[in-house]
Amino acid sequence: MALSSAQPYLCCVIRLRAIQQILQWEWALEYRRSNGWFLPLLFAAMVGYLCSLLVREPSPTVWLALLWMTMVFSALQTALRSFAATPGQWLYLNQLVAPTELLVGKTITTALNCLLVTWTGLALFSLWLGWPHLPEEMGQVPLWPFILSLSLGAIAISSTLSFTAALASKIERGTGIMAILSLPLLLPTLLIAMRASKLALLGTPIAELYPNWAGEILMAGLPLALGGLLFPYLWRS
Amino acid sequence: MKAWKILGVALVGYSLFAGLTADVPRLVILNETIRNLYFHVPMWFTMIALLGGSLAYSFRFLRSGGNGLPADLDRDHQARAFAEVAMMFSLLGLFTGMVWAKSTWGTYWTADPKLNGTAVTLLIYAAYFILRSSIDDAEKRARLAAVYNVFAFVLMIVFIGILPRMTDSLHPGNGGNPAFGSYDLDNGMRLVFYPAVIGWILMGWWIATLRVRLDRLTAQQTPV
Repeated sequence: MALSSAQPYLCCVIRLRAIQQILQWEWALEYRRSNGWFLPLLFAAMVGYLCSLLVREPSPTVWLALLWMTMVFSALQTALRSFAATPGQWLYLNQLVAPTELLVGKTITTALNCLLVTWTGLALFSLWLGWPHLPEEMGQVPLWPFILSLSLGAIAISSTLSFTAALASKIERGTGIMAILSLPLLLPTLLIAMRASKLALLGTPIAELYPNWAGEILMAGLPLALGGLLFPYLWRS
Repeated sequence: MKAWKILGVALVGYSLFAGLTADVPRLVILNETIRNLYFHVPMWFTMIALLGGSLAYSFRFLRSGGNGLPADLDRDHQARAFAEVAMMFSLLGLFTGMVWAKSTWGTYWTADPKLNGTAVTLLIYAAYFILRSSIDDAEKRARLAAVYNVFAFVLMIVFIGILPRMTDSLHPGNGGNPAFGSYDLDNGMRLVFYPAVIGWILMGWWIATLRVRLDRLTAQQTPV
């Protein structure tokens, strides 16, 4: 890795070809692994079902909070898994791409996985817990702002988690420390995402949602940009 | 002893004396607790200054080394010491705030944006110390801790600096509550408050440098 030691900042030039290679590699691997993308999905389903047993007819806020908690812990599983590779696989990946490209590629993979988990989780929540009861006078609330808020939140969460997962993967027995490192960092993201999705669920006019969506996009972009700058230092060994 | 240390002691001494004895405006609910401005608020300024110092040392550690040179582990010791002393100041800020909140808000803790910011800062740096203690190799520990420090600091600043302005808060300085805005703070209080902030930052910096020196001496006595 001649790139990372001398001039770390130059690593931030990202080749699209490299990202494509990572994604193809991940896709091939997901199909071969028996515990592929199915594992976090099953985890989300189990937590969702547990929630439906513990809480009956929750208020919209409680319903949403449970959904987010399920999503965060499933996303933790996803991110941890995306940086779990054998030394041989790492050797291959490190020769293929530069560190920053690796982080971007892994973030995209984690984000796609998180989106899958989110949408499945949402479907299962509405099946088992029912759609939250909104006041009668509100009438029909459009669904797409709510799903957009959830999806943007899932992407924001995975961009922070990819970086902390990379950090935790450098520590022996790092899986336990992963949650401790990432949960405090996720707090701002979660607060914004919770507010955006709550407002959307309760049928707030779209104009009031834009700043919250902007906040979610910021919380997706900032950790990725920061992680991209720091990743060459982290990956040097 | 250097001049800035003498200045720090003098300013803190002055703010302690003037903070307890000087005249303050009479305001409802706040009453005499307004004096907490001289003691509680400088703790946060000091914490941010020391965390900024810790960030700078972490950054300098990451820039060191390379091209066959070893990384500068002393920078890492400095980053840790500054973060430790900053945490002490944040706990002091938290306790002085909680005592004040009990007498004005009637409770030690509420779900206020400022309090969330404090909690998240404490948790982030607790995780930083846990991260350090779970890696045995000194160079690797320094590198990972520095990377986490830079990453966490920026997200923390976003959290405590930007988000509270987006929501309403009970805390002075938010939602129309009085704080040290241009029209709230009278000039008499300014004369005590600003020296207190500068004095406490200097004292905090001094404590952190003492911690660094202690670390260096311990490292000399116990060769690795």
